[in-house]
Amino acid sequence: MALTLSELPSGHVFAPINIVLDSERCRAYRDATGDTLDVYDVQGAVPPLAVAAFALGALLESVGLPPGTLHANESLQAHAVVPEGATVECRARVAQRSQRGGWVVTVLESEMMLGGASAVFARATVLCPADAS
Amino acid sequence: MLNAYADASGDHNPIHIDEAFAKTTSMGGTIAHGMLVLSFISQMMTAAFGERWLASGSLEVRFRAPARPGDAVTARATPQEPKDGRLRYAVECVSQTGEQLISGTAEVS
Repeated sequence: MALTLSELPSGHVFAPINIVLDSERCRAYRDATGDTLDVYDVQGAVPPLAVAAFALGALLESVGLPPGTLHANESLQAHAVVPEGATVECRARVAQRSQRGGWVVTVLESEMMLGGASAVFARATVLCPADAS
Repeated sequence: MLNAYADASGDHNPIHIDEAFAKTTSMGGTIAHGMLVLSFISQMMTAAFGERWLASGSLEVRFRAPARPGDAVTARATPQEPKDGRLRYAVECVSQTGEQLISGTAEVS
């Protein structure tokens, strides 16, 4: 049985995930977030936070998620405009794992690679109930 | 909005979309995805800086309180001293009651 997110040890490296940023998916994200800015169409670009959100969603789908899991912190750095239609490779790892006050604290770091270079970096701190591990 | 975001992002954590489950947690009901609420700050920065934000923006935030279905969320930014040649803002999202949901910093070149 696959490990849950809170059971992954510090240093765990996820298998790379390819994320296709097709127009339908990007439109669904912008509709879901109520984002009506036209700059994305003008630039042919994807919101950097969307890239990070897709990566986080894919990572969470690849592991079991303990019930009651919460998102505590988020860090994001955009290094390049990500064009709509591109495929980014998500390289992710568990940067830290600790236990505090009944919670397992897991820090996930993700680098979204485009054409061999980092386009977006994200770090998510996720809290899982320790008794759900 | 929460179900649409769950489908779009792939984050189907039941605490966001399963009311029966969410009621059994310390949250007492479904809450919005933190990344959904954070998207309002990203939209605000995109509206202000356009391609500069898309190419060089950065965020560092803490999710301080949950947004719940029906909440009205306002995103705002307050200029800070530039750092390392980058514009810097204190950013936050607040609810209709003034509760701070997210706080942190945003930078752009």
